[in-house]
Amino acid sequence: MDTTTVQAKSVIATDIGTTITRSLLFDVVSGRYRFIAGGSAPTTAGAPDFDVTEGIWRSLEELQFITGRTLLSEKEGIIIPSTQDSQGADIMVATMSAGNPISVVTVGLLENVSLQHARHLAQTSYSKIIAEISINDRRSATERINLLSRSRPDLIIIAGGTNEGASQSLLSILESIGLSSFMMDENQRPHILYAGNENLQDEVKAGLDKISSLHIVPNIQPVLGKESIFPAQKEINEIYKDVRKKQTGGLRQVLSWTEGNFTSTAFALGRLIRFLSEKYEPEKGVLGVDVGSDATVLAAAFHGQETLRVFSNLGVGGGAAGVLEKSSLEEIKRWLPIKISDNALRDYIYNKSIYPGSLPTEADHLEIELALAKQALLEAARDTIPNLEKQLDSTGTLLPPLEPIIGSGRILTNAPKRYQSLSVLLDGLQPTGVTTLALDQNGLLPGLGAAAEVNPLLAVQVIESNTFLNLGTVIAPTGIARPGTPILRVRVLREDGRNITRDIKYGSLTILPVEMGEKVSLHLRPLHRFDVGMGGPGKSGKVNAVGGAMGIIIDARGRPLQFYPDEEKNRKRNEMWRKTYQKYT
Amino acid sequence: MTSKVKHLHSLTSIKRERVLPVSGNMLVRRMQKVSPTDVIVVAPMAPEFILLDIAQGLNITPARADELLQRQAGDDLVKGDIIAGPLGIFQRVIRAPEAGQVKIAGEGKVLFEINKAPYELQAGMEGTVTNIIPERGAIIETRGALIQGVWGNGKITYGVIQPVSNDLLQELIPEQLNISFRGTIITAGFCRNPEVLDVAGNIPIKGMILGSMSAGLIPLAKKADYPIMVIDGFGTHPMNRAAEAILVANKDKNVALNAQIYDPFQGSYPEAIITQSTTKDLNPPPESEALKPGKQVIIISGPLASRIGTIERLFPHKRTIPSGISTWTAEVSFKNEESTEVPLTNLEIIKA
Repeated sequence: MDTTTVQAKSVIATDIGTTITRSLLFDVVSGRYRFIAGGSAPTTAGAPDFDVTEGIWRSLEELQFITGRTLLSEKEGIIIPSTQDSQGADIMVATMSAGNPISVVTVGLLENVSLQHARHLAQTSYSKIIAEISINDRRSATERINLLSRSRPDLIIIAGGTNEGASQSLLSILESIGLSSFMMDENQRPHILYAGNENLQDEVKAGLDKISSLHIVPNIQPVLGKESIFPAQKEINEIYKDVRKKQTGGLRQVLSWTEGNFTSTAFALGRLIRFLSEKYEPEKGVLGVDVGSDATVLAAAFHGQETLRVFSNLGVGGGAAGVLEKSSLEEIKRWLPIKISDNALRDYIYNKSIYPGSLPTEADHLEIELALAKQALLEAARDTIPNLEKQLDSTGTLLPPLEPIIGSGRILTNAPKRYQSLSVLLDGLQPTGVTTLALDQNGLLPGLGAAAEVNPLLAVQVIESNTFLNLGTVIAPTGIARPGTPILRVRVLREDGRNITRDIKYGSLTILPVEMGEKVSLHLRPLHRFDVGMGGPGKSGKVNAVGGAMGIIIDARGRPLQFYPDEEKNRKRNEMWRKTYQKYT
Repeated sequence: MTSKVKHLHSLTSIKRERVLPVSGNMLVRRMQKVSPTDVIVVAPMAPEFILLDIAQGLNITPARADELLQRQAGDDLVKGDIIAGPLGIFQRVIRAPEAGQVKIAGEGKVLFEINKAPYELQAGMEGTVTNIIPERGAIIETRGALIQGVWGNGKITYGVIQPVSNDLLQELIPEQLNISFRGTIITAGFCRNPEVLDVAGNIPIKGMILGSMSAGLIPLAKKADYPIMVIDGFGTHPMNRAAEAILVANKDKNVALNAQIYDPFQGSYPEAIITQSTTKDLNPPPESEALKPGKQVIIISGPLASRIGTIERLFPHKRTIPSGISTWTAEVSFKNEESTEVPLTNLEIIKA
């Protein structure tokens, strides 16, 4: 049977996460691609199995049980391509986020310029920067060689110089890289990604090509002040695959099943968000977030211009302690509606890091995990916003208009109540203007992103089939006022005439009871020059909206959200917000 | 559902791979008996290089510097040996700054590696070398008691076990520590007082095995000169009964304590091994097993963390637990005939 990608119909998409491996089945139903079902199992990348295929096999066994469709054969493994009697699937794609981050040394000319671009590039994958080298770090060539020899990175990213810019300084650093790599065992030599001054590419090739695995990509800073990461980002994904292949048991088998259609989960997420940005509202961007066990990923795109950031060791499982290390106990506590001692909170966070697959048994423990997710998103958004293609204002602290914002990750999809998922996205990201918060309830984003490469039609049709759960339309005015000051008049015009009018006060959180799927027209009249995304401060406007699982949410709590210095006041306010949500559910 | 097996065994077969990430020289052979402090492989883990710019040093062109080179890659030198020169009226030369080896020479430069004491990888346990991993390390096998932990401060030692009290359920307090614990590996229920770590370091003890430890002590524990291993997790839980029984039964015996940093992707767990001579035929314990009725389990998370019980039944459908999450659960009974419902994700099998 011919199984070229164009003719392929059924697709298995497997995502190997840190704690869970999930396999999804997509197939054609009534002439259109649909998500059929998903199966999951604990990931087996680490101890005791050290073989990812075990977890994949178990997730497919569950998928097989749920769908009643035979996908596995004891003799032949995963049945690809599908047989005449509809066993198996035509194509398999896979994504992966499990594993320790790849270790990276970034090299640039200046700390705040090329080194910063190199950092951004490293952050497009699951990486950990273990050392940085620049011309103004005052290290001698000997010190650089010793630093590189001892840190033994998986990857060295070299940036620096505009295409017509400096060359000698960079060449002197390249010599240290070449010598240190040459001194390593051949099978331990790092990948070297050169993304600097293009005029030096020939010299780089002559000096490093025979020593290490050299990758040359277009300059990530072709002219001063402009960052152009995307071509290099693709190459980082290829390097990620190669490093993982060497480190992870069973991955060669996965590459064989997928015929190489394997990518990092973050890269696949970025691809899908880019894809959606070309499909949805042209004047707004699209944001996808994945709050994982070990890492948090943000992918934003405006007209196909993508910004992808992976925050390794910032998650709600193995990365829980990383959230505490990047922020503080006080900052995590600010999100809690419960009373808990510092010691108990710290102990819970570190226990979660050593037992990432464990579930919170008590309601208070779930609140801690939700607070961790909010803080992880807040930290990730804070680092990402200044690098987005569009900015709300010159401060670079708030998200620009986005439509929609899609959240994924077990903490969001497994939350018992929808308001819990919504509050993580709302508090962690603090969107502005009018936007829709959606939930990737079936964990399809990475799978669709991976499948889009081989079958774009599948991604389009599955997305069009209302695959994401609409949590609600959010209206978040920005501006300055005293708490309690009316800042917005909202009129909700319903098709049945049961209109709602509300005066919204600064500092409040209001939920308008609009049924799931109900189409309404919103008339927004901001006061005191507040901005609701209708074209500027004080501008009124109409917008069509659809009720979500949490109706329509008016978040007038301020941007960025301010906290009390007093812990108890914050706790009481969180309790009040929780009650506001609970009234609606 | 399959669960990881938490290794708490009073007697089992233990097989460990001890390897370096870089090539080195092997010092053991197959079937050799080793003690924990025996070195099995040595290697330059943190090599130190010096890049000598001969051309710049002699103020000549790189081509001329190459003509004056007296050494080539691979040459061993002692401090002061001439590398390049002599040049000019003053017979200027470049000498070896330390004893070492020329690694690369050419284009007016020499990369020189200074001789340094190599890193010595110790066996870390008593046992027999059953296999050699060429240039990297060895596989060592033994029989004895094994206690696996979840957190370690990265240090390793070998010494006599000394429980601080008759049961290991209580908090370790500074008043309990005295000079009689000098040079021993102490064991206790839990620790939350930073003073304990200081007092223990001043005695000094050789190592510390705890059921649990307050996470606030992590920075201090990392700085401690002695290894610290935490068996169950962070907080103030008493030590689990299976580990307690093994440690109390082996009082005054030698334990190899490897408080290595826990890394599930590498499969490295902190652990304590107490080698025992036995003629029993033992198989290595499984690394994972299916959770099913009759299996002994330890609860790893929640208010009952570190308690050991037996699975009475697995619920056939997902159930809603007090947090509101819907998940697969099991009924677990304890020795006092109480029972509780626990998510399967919060259980690990033990085969004590």
